[in-house]
Amino acid sequence: MLQSIGYFMRRVGRNLRQTPVLCSAAIGTVAVALMIIGFFGIVVVNVQQVAQQWSREIQVVAYFDQVPDLGKVQQWRSSLEAMAEIERVEYVSRDEAFKRFKIRLGTDADLLDGVGADFLPASLEIILHDDNQNKGGVEAVVQRLKQIPELDDISYEPEWLERFDAFVGLLKVAGIVFGGFLLFAALFIVSNTIKLTLYARREEIEIMALVGGTPLFIKMPFLIEGALQGILGGLLALCGVWAVFTLVLREGLYGVLMVTGTEGILFLSPMQQWGMALCGLMLGLTGSLLSLRKFVRI
Amino acid sequence: MIQLYNVCMSYQKEATALNEFSLKVPKGDFLYLTGPSGAGKSTLLKLLYGAVKPTRGQVLINGMNITRMRSWRIPMLRRKLGIVFQDFKLISTRTVFENVAFPLEMQGKKRFEISNKVYQALKHVGLQGKLNRFPLQLSGGEQQRAAIARALVIDPLILLADEPTGNLDDDVTCEIMELFKGANARGTTVLLATHNREIIRRYPRRIVSLDKGRLVDDHTP
Ligand SMILES: Nc1ncnc2c1ncn2[C@@H]1O[C@H](COP(=O)(O)OP(=O)(O)O)[C@@H](O)[C@H]1O
Ligand SMILES: [Mg+2]
Repeated sequence: MLQSIGYFMRRVGRNLRQTPVLCSAAIGTVAVALMIIGFFGIVVVNVQQVAQQWSREIQVVAYFDQVPDLGKVQQWRSSLEAMAEIERVEYVSRDEAFKRFKIRLGTDADLLDGVGADFLPASLEIILHDDNQNKGGVEAVVQRLKQIPELDDISYEPEWLERFDAFVGLLKVAGIVFGGFLLFAALFIVSNTIKLTLYARREEIEIMALVGGTPLFIKMPFLIEGALQGILGGLLALCGVWAVFTLVLREGLYGVLMVTGTEGILFLSPMQQWGMALCGLMLGLTGSLLSLRKFVRI
Repeated sequence: MIQLYNVCMSYQKEATALNEFSLKVPKGDFLYLTGPSGAGKSTLLKLLYGAVKPTRGQVLINGMNITRMRSWRIPMLRRKLGIVFQDFKLISTRTVFENVAFPLEMQGKKRFEISNKVYQALKHVGLQGKLNRFPLQLSGGEQQRAAIARALVIDPLILLADEPTGNLDDDVTCEIMELFKGANARGTTVLLATHNREIIRRYPRRIVSLDKGRLVDDHTP
């Protein structure tokens, strides 16, 4: 077994030396394909991040028509927080609301001189769990709040919510379709490039079969070679994506998405970087597997 | 021991390459397959090394029925055969030594065992001085000797040769024939397809004649 591995590795090394142009072409194809996917991935990651920040602001506010009894407020809070959709309920008293309003006015706060702190209503602010920050979640909460007669007005933004839901859904579908299409195209090109390297060695493959090589034994060096080319292409793509990210993409995304600073623009997570290398490996492996089917027949 | 019973084989529907063909070849036999071009000689050899399957009939090698042999077992069959072609089928990017080492590598033999056997085989065909040359740096006769060394390096039970001297001149043909004779003397069954009457005259052995896929004559002079 060990000695077979040594034998396969020697053959792989020799193949790489014998057809360097074709091998570089295979590596290059994997690299370019994965780089495009990587760019797209970064864009999706960052748009999703921004979308998540927006959705933090999705909350339901319920206003009291009169100052409520604090004991009752405590009861409502605990019964609301028991709902699966709700993460947290905060009580905002009239004083608290006035304080916030003053802060928001900033330098114009002197406009409030002589105004009593009681013109703003007290309210309950309901913050939903991440996975319930959608139309369904909000409506469930609103239904529950309507059962509390002391509440005068319930404020939420159904239209905006609907659009937000649609946008996130579209992003997901586009990601799957576009990513899948790119992977498929990459696989097609890679398998054709590898087919060329096999074509250059068809004489050898034919004779291996004639002198009693088993299909697996014949294929193994080519599979290792494909996997190696794939993982090299994946690493190359990673370097390329990183370079372009630091040079232009970060600034560009910052300009479009308007997050708090360029540090706010994310690169692929370590997990996603591993995924990219693995993707390269799988591309190379399946690419050679697909083209070998045509060449190794006994 | 090779046995063929009522073997039919056709590549396309109409044209039959072999037609109701039966033959017995005892172990250690030396036999010529002869007949005009297109008679079915190559097809018969391909049948024996599992490159094509018969449309009808049975083919047995050493009692093993290869008619319905699963494709994963064909490599095991080929490890008992030596095959020699008219066009040598050497790998041009490999040295003579590496070419002859190929069948042993495919069997996963150890490296030192491979170099030993390859050297012996090349010495046997008189190429021990040229083992680092590439095939295209050799004459036709030397290339065929290298191909024969590759066939014999595994000590095959059966040697199949398809017009092995078709591309060679008379002197070289004699050298090659001596190698086949020697292998046969050491117990290898030899099947040699040729339409060269001259070598049959000089090395008289059992002659099996084919025409249009049928056996028309089988005699030993
Ligand atoms: N690969 C092939 N495809 C179709 N027909 C073939 C093929 N090989 C041989 N034949 C046909 O089969 C018949 C026997 O061919 P072959 O066995 O090569 O004859 P020989 O070796 O005696 O010259 C011929 O009619 C030939 O045209
Ligand atoms: Mg022929």
